[in-house]
Amino acid sequence: MAGTALAPGKVRVKTSAMRGHRSRLALVNAVPVTVFLLVLFVYPIIGVLSLSLKGDSGGFTLHWYADALSGVNLSVLLSTLRISAETAVLSLLVGFVLAHAIARMRPVFAAPAMLIVVVPHFISALVRTYGWIIMLGDHGLINTLLTSLHVPGAPFPLLYNETGVVIGTTSVMLPYTVLILQGVMRGVDGRLLAAAAGFGASRFTIFRRIYLPLVAPGIGTAGLLSFILCLGYYITPALMGGDKQTVVAALIDQQVMQQDQWNSAAAFGVILLLLTFAGLGVLGLAKLRRKKAHARRSSS
Amino acid sequence: MMELPATRAGHIGRALSATAILLFLAMPIVIILVTSFGADGIGTFPPKEYSTHWYEQMAAPGGNWATSIALSSLIASLTTVFSLILGATAATALARGRLPLHTAVYGLVLAPLLIPQVVIALGLFLFFEPAGMLGSPLAIALGHTVLAAPIAILIMISTLRGIDERLEDAAASMGAGRLTIARRITFPLATPGLIAAAVFSFITSFDEFFIAQFMSTPDTRTLPVLVFNALQFDVDPTVTAVSAVLIALAVLALALVALVRKLGGHRDGRNALPVEPLA
Repeated sequence: MAGTALAPGKVRVKTSAMRGHRSRLALVNAVPVTVFLLVLFVYPIIGVLSLSLKGDSGGFTLHWYADALSGVNLSVLLSTLRISAETAVLSLLVGFVLAHAIARMRPVFAAPAMLIVVVPHFISALVRTYGWIIMLGDHGLINTLLTSLHVPGAPFPLLYNETGVVIGTTSVMLPYTVLILQGVMRGVDGRLLAAAAGFGASRFTIFRRIYLPLVAPGIGTAGLLSFILCLGYYITPALMGGDKQTVVAALIDQQVMQQDQWNSAAAFGVILLLLTFAGLGVLGLAKLRRKKAHARRSSS
Repeated sequence: MMELPATRAGHIGRALSATAILLFLAMPIVIILVTSFGADGIGTFPPKEYSTHWYEQMAAPGGNWATSIALSSLIASLTTVFSLILGATAATALARGRLPLHTAVYGLVLAPLLIPQVVIALGLFLFFEPAGMLGSPLAIALGHTVLAAPIAILIMISTLRGIDERLEDAAASMGAGRLTIARRITFPLATPGLIAAAVFSFITSFDEFFIAQFMSTPDTRTLPVLVFNALQFDVDPTVTAVSAVLIALAVLALALVALVRKLGGHRDGRNALPVEPLA
């Protein structure tokens, strides 16, 4: 090969000048996204906040919050919280069972199983919800099956009520919980479990005393995340719910589109935002505590 | 992972429950695909007769569906362009540079994935309404970019981290300029990530409902808004065919990403698909 010998002057090493160049380059490159998100994400949300505090005559008021936290509106808020909690618990339970099973499968089965978990996540939630509507109706697949098996009470009312909403929403949240739990389960050191078994611990004890504490952070993250994501979710409750006002997001949509009650919609938006921040705060604190505990252990 | 020897009952129990849950995830999609070929349209499964009637209806030129498919495609294309520009620059800053306020910028980028979409949609409505831009495809695309750009950025950060920086250093040591390095080394190596980011930006926009719903006018309804209306108000069986097309589109897009990643040398399929918003 020609020219293998490098001219000494052309050899560059990382110098402080180059590092300076790197931080300048990073700054320039960070500008577009920062400006974009400040203008079209942060500023509009500040707009929501200020609208929720603005009275009819323009002055400051908490009227819209008082309105949002009373009467029918409060019951919508509470039912949103309840549906979100039910969905989070259900998707956590179902997700745990599935993630645990996948973690123990041979790769030949685990790979297609993961595909069935991940691919639906990228298919429009509208479409998946529609699938559930067809399935859960009085003459849908499930009720037809139950009726033909002569299950007492069939057909069951599975659609246009909270049961339907929770089933549908759980199927939307499930990919998140399975993936998060999969991540922590893969990280559990099998030798710890084997060691416990060596000391004579029963399966149940190993599960409760070793396995569960090790995957607990993942359980917390997955549960809180699906709760947070459910709070502002709308598609499935709006299509599978009973009356049209089952969740806050549906109420916001209605207030803006049909009633021109923007202030009230904004107050609800801010309440959703605060609940989300609370959830994220809990997640962050738990992570911080784990980090500190970890640092203490490794320093002593 | 549990490495204790499995009991037979435990093994069978796990296999059964896993199968049931996987069916739970897959059934709604299978049902839609089959129903869309049913002659009788809504609700009955399995259909008694099969036809492609709903597909013909959907594709009828000048119809509502064809118009909104065209509109959604336009908006998704604009979103993809915006996301790629923001994604490439932001990922370079976050993955490569020494960025002051790194955590703050990173947090800002992740935030749209965690904030309730209805709040973002409401904010964008308040932002664009006074400007008289409701219904403008450009405004909807800008709104969609708020959601799509973070995903594109996350994909490109992981792509850039996967590229061995020594290759760039080596090129530099041989006298290549910054532009030449970007063009001849970094860009070709980052192409699979760029394609993945483009594909996911496109689907994110094409499937997005909230922002489009808040910013649409009766003349400009994107496909998800039209599907939502069809499901909530008038029961138009054509929606089964539209849903089936959306499924096919998502599967094709994922297959394309998987293929590109494989050709690009990513043998580890584990992180082939990004699932936002993983904390």
